Amino acid sequence: MEETARATVSGKSDAQPIGLRLKKHWGKYGMVYIFLVPILIHFLIFQVFPFAFSLVLTFMDWRFIGESEFVGLKHWINFFSDTLAHKAIWNTVLFSLYYIIPTMALGLILALTINSGIRFAGIFKGIFFLPVVTSFVIIAGIWGWIFQGTETGLVNSILGVFGIDSQLFLSSSGQALMVLAGLSILKVSGSTMIYYFAGLQSIPSQLYEAAKIDGAGPVRIFWSITFPLLKPIHFYVAIITTIGSFQIFDSTFLLTGGGPNYSTTTIVYYLYQQGFASLNLSYAAVLSYILFFIILIISLIQRKYIGKDSSIY
Amino acid sequence: MKRIIAYASVTFFAACFLLPFIIMIFGSLRDMQYALLSPSYWFSDQLTLENYRYVLSDGIFLRWIFNSVVITVIPVFSQMFFCTVLGYIFAKKVFPGREIIFWVFMAVVMIPQQLLIIPKYIMFSNFGWINSYEALIVPEIWGIMGVFLIRQYLQNIPNDFEEAAKIDGAGDFKIFMKIIFPLSIPVVATVGTFSFIANWNDLFQPLIYMTQENMFPVTVGLASLLGKEGHFGIEMAGSAISFIPTFLIFLFFQRYFTEGIQLSGLK
Repeated sequence: MEETARATVSGKSDAQPIGLRLKKHWGKYGMVYIFLVPILIHFLIFQVFPFAFSLVLTFMDWRFIGESEFVGLKHWINFFSDTLAHKAIWNTVLFSLYYIIPTMALGLILALTINSGIRFAGIFKGIFFLPVVTSFVIIAGIWGWIFQGTETGLVNSILGVFGIDSQLFLSSSGQALMVLAGLSILKVSGSTMIYYFAGLQSIPSQLYEAAKIDGAGPVRIFWSITFPLLKPIHFYVAIITTIGSFQIFDSTFLLTGGGPNYSTTTIVYYLYQQGFASLNLSYAAVLSYILFFIILIISLIQRKYIGKDSSIY
Repeated sequence: MKRIIAYASVTFFAACFLLPFIIMIFGSLRDMQYALLSPSYWFSDQLTLENYRYVLSDGIFLRWIFNSVVITVIPVFSQMFFCTVLGYIFAKKVFPGREIIFWVFMAVVMIPQQLLIIPKYIMFSNFGWINSYEALIVPEIWGIMGVFLIRQYLQNIPNDFEEAAKIDGAGDFKIFMKIIFPLSIPVVATVGTFSFIANWNDLFQPLIYMTQENMFPVTVGLASLLGKEGHFGIEMAGSAISFIPTFLIFLFFQRYFTEGIQLSGLK
């Protein structure tokens, strides 16, 4: 090691014997070889290969027992005539409509409340963030109980006090998707709050002071200063909640099993059913590529936009 | 006036966000036959620890918890190690292909998990990994997001420490263990807490790779109880127990969660 250091100082590495040069090379890149090479192999096996293999699968009839055969575009063509797949995409889009704006709005409201100079803001922040780290299984179990479709269910009991008839909730094809969206809003808005909170803190306080001097009220300040200055955050949060909403699976698996009448069959739930309930793995691979294309388009919009407008402050 | 509105709204929201957890605790302490009935029954009867006794004396539930611990603890520690080493390599080492490899990593992050699960299921069937821990541990030993976070963090640390150590004759591994790793502790903690949450709460992957009841992690196990008639109290007791590690980690590492979320957004 000492020799290596001296060689670097004298700058005569070319004149050194091959052994020493190798040693120096190892001293400099040893760590790269030892760690990066195995990790790259791991990356090829568990990320790159499955990605490519998945595409090959879409052109085959994959069977665990017996010969798998090449079928060309059969599964892709099937997708275009599969009304249930179209319904699954439509349900997912509908879910996004119920979910994205409320999650963003609630996240912003929570961020505003904890940013308003109240005491114990840290504790409240923790409370709002708690559902984010809690497993879907726990929250869904409780949510299903709150929204029981019987007269004795918690929400129905409350509605009963106001003289409103009992609702079916998860057993109603019109309401189930909304109840699931409500669950996701509660679960995720804590993390949108974190983004908005960071955004709020980066708005210079001079702007608020100037506006106050000009006589603007709190509502005016919010719509003229806070809301527009949060534009990069709005965009970023919109993208990540959209991507999240297209991958929704847990709540529909846990609470409705895709029903009633396929009203909560989302893309990923349909993919799961095709792949692992019907063992139609090749068709499930086609569906996973459709999901990938949708997410890719959303991500590309994000990259294009973030590169351009992230330096707004 | 403004303060009153702020306090009123924050209290209201806090109550809404805590309600599910309160229901969980109350539900777990109620006699299982009544737990499914209306809330008005809740206050009319005595509380009981019967559900906890039932869950903890049930071998299968303890097995689920054990499985969850195995598939969480190993990835958490190996991610903290490998992500730091790789983050360091990508931040500080100059070698051919560095940029292109990193760029490929970042592109692959966009591939949704659900796309890889079908080919991985076929691969793991051939490896004999279905219903064994390898399926949930080996693919998770490092993570691209972790490497990204640590690289980002180390890039902002000046090279002076490293240079000084090099002049003193310290080798790469020594520099890494004595200087880089201690310096990175805050962001390593972030990677660890993220990895904990991702693995402890994962439902989708174990649902597919684990088909035997005794190999379920606690998420899949609780999911199998869900909706069974008269099981609400037991399910809530199980949920509460499985929530304890999450809650403790959250209590001690909350800062790392929120900072990590912000960092991952600053691409």
